[in-house]
Amino acid sequence: MSHTLQIKEPGFGWMLLCSVVVHLACYFLLVKFHFSPLPLKEGPVYYVDIINLPVANPRAGTPSSPGGAPPATTRQEMTLPAKSAVKPGPKPAPSTLKPAAPVETDRQFQERMAKIERDVESKHVSAAIDALRSQVGSGGKGGQSGMPGAKGTEAGSDYASYIRSRLTDAFSTTIAYQSKNPEAMVRLTIGKTGRVTGLRFEKSSKDRLFEDCVRRAISKAEQTFPPPPGGAAFEYSYRFAPEGVSKK
Amino acid sequence: MKKFLFVIAAIIFPAMVLAGEGYLDVTASGNRQLQLAIPPSRSLDGSQHPEIVKELHDVLSFDMTLAGPFSVMSGAGGKESSGIRPGEFDFAPWKSAGADLLVKSGYRVKGSAITLEFRLYDVFKEKEIVAKRYTGTIRDLRKIAHIFDDQVMQSVTGERGPFSGKIAFVSKQTGNKEICLMDYDGHNVQRLTRNGSINLNPDFSPNGREIIYTSYKRRNPDLYRRELFTGTEASISSRRGINITGAYSPDGKRIALAMSKDGNSEIYVIDTSGKQSARLTSNGAIDVSPSWSPDGSRIAFTSDRLGRPQVFIMNSDGSGVRRLTTSGSYNDRPRWSPKGDTILYCRMEGGGFQIYSINPDGSSDTRLTSEGSNEHGRWSPDGRYITFSSSRGGREAIYVMRADGSGQTRVSRGNAADSHPTWSSRW
Repeated sequence: MSHTLQIKEPGFGWMLLCSVVVHLACYFLLVKFHFSPLPLKEGPVYYVDIINLPVANPRAGTPSSPGGAPPATTRQEMTLPAKSAVKPGPKPAPSTLKPAAPVETDRQFQERMAKIERDVESKHVSAAIDALRSQVGSGGKGGQSGMPGAKGTEAGSDYASYIRSRLTDAFSTTIAYQSKNPEAMVRLTIGKTGRVTGLRFEKSSKDRLFEDCVRRAISKAEQTFPPPPGGAAFEYSYRFAPEGVSKK
Repeated sequence: MKKFLFVIAAIIFPAMVLAGEGYLDVTASGNRQLQLAIPPSRSLDGSQHPEIVKELHDVLSFDMTLAGPFSVMSGAGGKESSGIRPGEFDFAPWKSAGADLLVKSGYRVKGSAITLEFRLYDVFKEKEIVAKRYTGTIRDLRKIAHIFDDQVMQSVTGERGPFSGKIAFVSKQTGNKEICLMDYDGHNVQRLTRNGSINLNPDFSPNGREIIYTSYKRRNPDLYRRELFTGTEASISSRRGINITGAYSPDGKRIALAMSKDGNSEIYVIDTSGKQSARLTSNGAIDVSPSWSPDGSRIAFTSDRLGRPQVFIMNSDGSGVRRLTTSGSYNDRPRWSPKGDTILYCRMEGGGFQIYSINPDGSSDTRLTSEGSNEHGRWSPDGRYITFSSSRGGREAIYVMRADGSGQTRVSRGNAADSHPTWSSRW
């Protein structure tokens, strides 16, 4: 006796139906997940100052004055309140009785949750600031301003340009000359304290009146020099000339 | 071991100094004047001489105002303290008043003798720049003050001032044209010639001890030399025809002048004794008014060889003649700057003359005067100032100005017609 396996093939109509159903399903899935307009999320906008203006203290990252202790009020404001604003209710006795849960409306519940969230966030911020303070303070210069670890090489902390701006201000009050197009190149060394420790004319203008006014400008500007970044001496060359005199 | 230390130093040292390569420009506009404070002189021995105080202040203020780099101020709002030596006074009032420099002076009088003490301070640095003490007679007061002003210029600009020099000029005070001498600011006038004739074109020797001029006292325009301190006078060129517009060479060993002994006026060079002469120009035109370049290699002069008087330049041996002035129809009396970079001359304009300056290459032809008729421009020995004669006030008078034409100031004090000034080196 032999068995013959007989496979009954579906009919054409059935196959057509299946095909239509599958195609339609694929079409809807494609439309839904690929072409459907997803809700746009607006990302944060960053404003970047593309001009690096000279800054008074190249390491300054916080507005507190250099060397000064941070104001106590600021610290107080940042401190997390000692007690949570949420008062825990009386400890429920382990009884079988169903706790007499106060009837809390949705609004009250949301307010309570928001308060808890604010407290937690405040706690985190306060902890982060304390950590930063301790990090800066560990450098032996408590209360020093500036970004921790900054070397004065970040954008906007161009010490040479800052010194140039101070020199330009002073030079405009002292400029005097008797030759036609005086030009002097000065190598300036600024010590760790911000005082000028070296001044050398690399190229003389051969105009004593002009060179004296350059010296006078440097002396005036020196009073506004901050210490160089990184605790190292700073050395750079500056070309002094009346406006419009191009380099010879 | 040495190599190891060298390597370590090479690694560490660059990190210790933030040395930058390149440079940054520091520029400013303008050219400001330094505020120079000149408070009244103080008595050093308690004796009060207001006339000395006034005269000293007048001299110092006049010189420093003409100088150019300074704007003179007298006081600091009454808050200034007495004392002239360091530590005897406070700089703060002067700083507040905006002074850059401060001249303190004091005097001590004993009979006709006077001791003057001057100190120049840098107010900002609170530092003494120069201190001088002079002793002389009261008659020397102005001279001493001028000498100190020369010193102030030396200290501030690196080059001594010309204020202690003299100006020789032609005066008609007596009705004749006589050669006179005065301080550059018009004081202490002395008459040098008394021949009752016409004396013209004085020129100082480079050391300031002699003067040459043309005189008609023997009816012919001859060239004379006069020693100022002995009064000795000698004729050095009395050749037939004119012997005019003599000019000492920068080394004082030769004199260029215009002579017409061979017919028309030509430029010659003679030695100071007048015996040897060399002819530099040779043409049918009139050549006059020679002026040496400061290195003695070239001579500027006036010639009408092209039809109208114009300024020309030639080598001191007469070769390489070229025309300098190209504008104006009548340009005359060139005078080479002691610095060598500019030549003064006067140009006829509208019936009078105006003083111009031009570079030896013909560029930067600039008019320096405009009021009245101005001529006979001569440089101060340092080349920073010019003396000239002007008729702007009616009669001709001697004026001084800065080399750029600013600060024109009359220095003639009388009403006589004064002209042909020339400025000596320092006495």
